[in-house]
Amino acid sequence: MKQAPQEMPADAGFQIAPMIDVVFVIMLFFMVMAGAVKVEHELKTTLPGNAETAKETEMPDEITIGVSENGTITINEDPVGQPNDKTLENLYNEMSKMATAAKQSKTKLLITVQAEEAAKYERVINVLDVLARADITNVTFAVAEPE
Amino acid sequence: MAGGGGGGDGEPEFQVAPMIDVLLVLLIFFMSITSAQVLKVDKNIALPVASHGVKRDDKAAAGLINISWDKNTGQAKYKLDDRELDINDKDGIAKELAARKGTNEKFRLLIRADRQCHAKYISKALEWGAEAGIDNIAFSGLNREE
Repeated sequence: MKQAPQEMPADAGFQIAPMIDVVFVIMLFFMVMAGAVKVEHELKTTLPGNAETAKETEMPDEITIGVSENGTITINEDPVGQPNDKTLENLYNEMSKMATAAKQSKTKLLITVQAEEAAKYERVINVLDVLARADITNVTFAVAEPE
Repeated sequence: MAGGGGGGDGEPEFQVAPMIDVLLVLLIFFMSITSAQVLKVDKNIALPVASHGVKRDDKAAAGLINISWDKNTGQAKYKLDDRELDINDKDGIAKELAARKGTNEKFRLLIRADRQCHAKYISKALEWGAEAGIDNIAFSGLNREE
């Protein structure tokens, strides 16, 4: 059947329905993006050996967490985390206990994270992240000199 | 923008104008929170996950050191913001950091390194910070896995 040619109206006017469609699609896009967006987090530490000597200072409980080249984590030489253990639950439990004990005895807890020269940055961040999770802020970072 | 609808005795009709107002407000809200959080990181750096860290404060003064990792050579490359650093010019780097710090005691050194980077290369950046008198160090990571 032959179709009659359609005549375009002289002035179509402003169409609200397609505009709402487009706005909905754009909004959906931004809603999804807002949930999936990656943000940068930072883990604060200080450099070791920064104590003021003029004041009398109370010696805090010092704990050294070692990060080895293969990814093993130790607390004062005792292993607490295997190389493939990313969440480091054992370390978190130990740290939480120590943090609670330090709070109760009103002493400061000083953690030194000492990484071997070839230890990976990711592993160091894993440890610092666990310390942040355990709400420990007094953290210093150092790299062990080769023996 | 859209005006209010007129009153009437009959059943209230669906009003398109206020719906568009609400939609646009929601759109602007989602646009702003999305664009405000866009991560500006060197493409050569794969950051590790630090989900329990604090969100980076862009307003606080910081010297940003980007450390990328070359898998083939097993070497790190350093950048201060976007400028490549000559690792032999230790004094020059320390001077620049010290100048940026000025008298601001809260100035911090933000280390943004590739997850494969070795700790000894991080240590080098810390040495520059120590030379410049900066003892506030922050390590950078992402809130979620890439």
